[in-house]
Amino acid sequence: MAMALDERFFEKFGVEYAPNEIIFCEWEPGNEFYFIQSGNVRIVKFIQNREKNLSVLTDGDVFGEMAILEEQPRSATAIAIDHVKLLKFHRDNFDTLMAGNPQLAFKLLVIFSKRIYDAKRRLMILLLEEPQLKVMDVLVMLAEQDPHLDLQNEITLQVTAQDVARWAGLTEDDAQKELTHLSRTDKIEMFGDKIVVKKIREFQRLVASRRKSMYQ
Amino acid sequence: MSNGAGGPSGIITRTYKSGSIIYFEGDKSEYIYILKAGKVFLTTIKLDTGEEYKEEVRQGEFFGVKSALGKYPREDTAQTVGNTTVLVLTPADFERLVLKNANVVKKMLRVFSNQLRRIVKMERSVLGETEIVNPDAELFKIGEYYYKAGVVKHAQYAYKRYMEYYPDGEKAALAMKRIRGIDAGEPAPPDIGGHDAGPAPAPPKQAEADFSFDEPDQSKEKDMIDFDDSTHEDEAPVPSRSASGGTSLSSEMDDFFADTKAPALDDFDADVTMSDSPRDLNDAADTSFGRGNYPMALEMYQKIISLNRTASPEEKKLYEKAHFDAGRCYIEMGKPKEALDLMSKVLRNFTGSPYLKPAIFHIGMIFESVNQKEKAITYYNKVLNMSPKDKLNSDALTKIKQLQGK
Repeated sequence: MAMALDERFFEKFGVEYAPNEIIFCEWEPGNEFYFIQSGNVRIVKFIQNREKNLSVLTDGDVFGEMAILEEQPRSATAIAIDHVKLLKFHRDNFDTLMAGNPQLAFKLLVIFSKRIYDAKRRLMILLLEEPQLKVMDVLVMLAEQDPHLDLQNEITLQVTAQDVARWAGLTEDDAQKELTHLSRTDKIEMFGDKIVVKKIREFQRLVASRRKSMYQ
Repeated sequence: MSNGAGGPSGIITRTYKSGSIIYFEGDKSEYIYILKAGKVFLTTIKLDTGEEYKEEVRQGEFFGVKSALGKYPREDTAQTVGNTTVLVLTPADFERLVLKNANVVKKMLRVFSNQLRRIVKMERSVLGETEIVNPDAELFKIGEYYYKAGVVKHAQYAYKRYMEYYPDGEKAALAMKRIRGIDAGEPAPPDIGGHDAGPAPAPPKQAEADFSFDEPDQSKEKDMIDFDDSTHEDEAPVPSRSASGGTSLSSEMDDFFADTKAPALDDFDADVTMSDSPRDLNDAADTSFGRGNYPMALEMYQKIISLNRTASPEEKKLYEKAHFDAGRCYIEMGKPKEALDLMSKVLRNFTGSPYLKPAIFHIGMIFESVNQKEKAITYYNKVLNMSPKDKLNSDALTKIKQLQGK
């Protein structure tokens, strides 16, 4: 979505970053959110003391938007890939800003719609009781998130055991135990950085039926 | 003004017989609907209890917004009761329609962000036990990671942020040492794990020893008394949140706000119905507070206070919280005197409360808002010296610096 923001706007809220410069760092307090005018920004997170790329954002994207909600430490690090021009907005300016920029507000509306769904989806995993099902549901969630996958057939997910543990809210050992079990029963195949799932539909059905019976 | 629903060309009107399904949970569809005539019920399954939950859409309200915008399957089933007419919008139609009125997007955004806040909060509480981390330690670790990896510029950033936010933090001395080393162009030592036995600057524990704020002391009481509101109250900035806005909306758009409340609040809904349980009251009050409806929130917090239930630890906590949050409501409403009264109650009556430190911080804010800088600084200073060190300590430091004109 092209945004027609005038020059004065950039004068007031514009900030620029050189290639490879940190914009904000995971765990530092966050009070601002950003809108990318030009350039690319890498979002990374530290997992098991390793830097892991979460995504690359570009012109028109918004990041750091969780700062609008509350004062929480940043959940990831943002690093400029190339020369980056940003608009930087403080939480306190939110209302005024939104009133003057319905397009930006609309964009945030779309982002929040997605975030709400993603957060609910994660919560659904956490609310399951058995670790086995949690792990299965993580794989189901990841499969659902990729529209290019053909869920009728064998699929490959770019995910490590640590990732699975994190999504499932399990310790790494517990997640590993469950994954090993699935692999031994030939439901999945594990590689270092990916997991092949033979019949994801089967997991889907299992989780769904268990979820239904959970409350009965 | 071409207002909303009836206006823009290309929007389809569709009529359904009673009992028809407009969409099923799990359907993928990009359409957004506005109820024109008749009745629609949205049925969802609550995530945490598995209960079925029905919500009526009122005429003029939107439904199906989030799943259409977020491009994910429907989370509810929409069924008609009686002959029903709806307007069918594509996301592009919807965008055109709402962009004409910034207030619509703004209010919808507030509702969405409140929902997101609630879900994220619930997620955290489910993860609860395993997720206790100290942001300061984690921030330092990132610095160390980059330092070890030889990416000194990034390491420098993390260390400097650490010093900015946690100048009294446990790793402050080490962070400072690293910053100086990097500035001096020293290469990162191959092994930085164990050895920093060198004469590091001030021991970080020092701040603990200075800690002397163990009980509400007399000087505070005095402050309360000579807090001179008669002369200053007028100067107290009235929060300029224009939450009340929205005057020239078409009625259709107006109704829409109710909608974002209705279909949107599906799972964990905090209905704003009055209930006598402190917990329900608290949830409803928090929601109102989040929406900027401070008078409403205040009313509910005060109800919790008047219930005076402190038998269980949870009730006790809610009772303390209600004092604190009622105080925050007064701050937002531009009533510093009332706010101070409540915050000082927290101070006097709830010595071990988790709300003690935030309350002291807010007292600082109240004095700041009526231009009593010295007193504000006194209170911020108290926060600064309280343990455990967290973000509030660094916020207090920032405040002090600001007030001292730095």
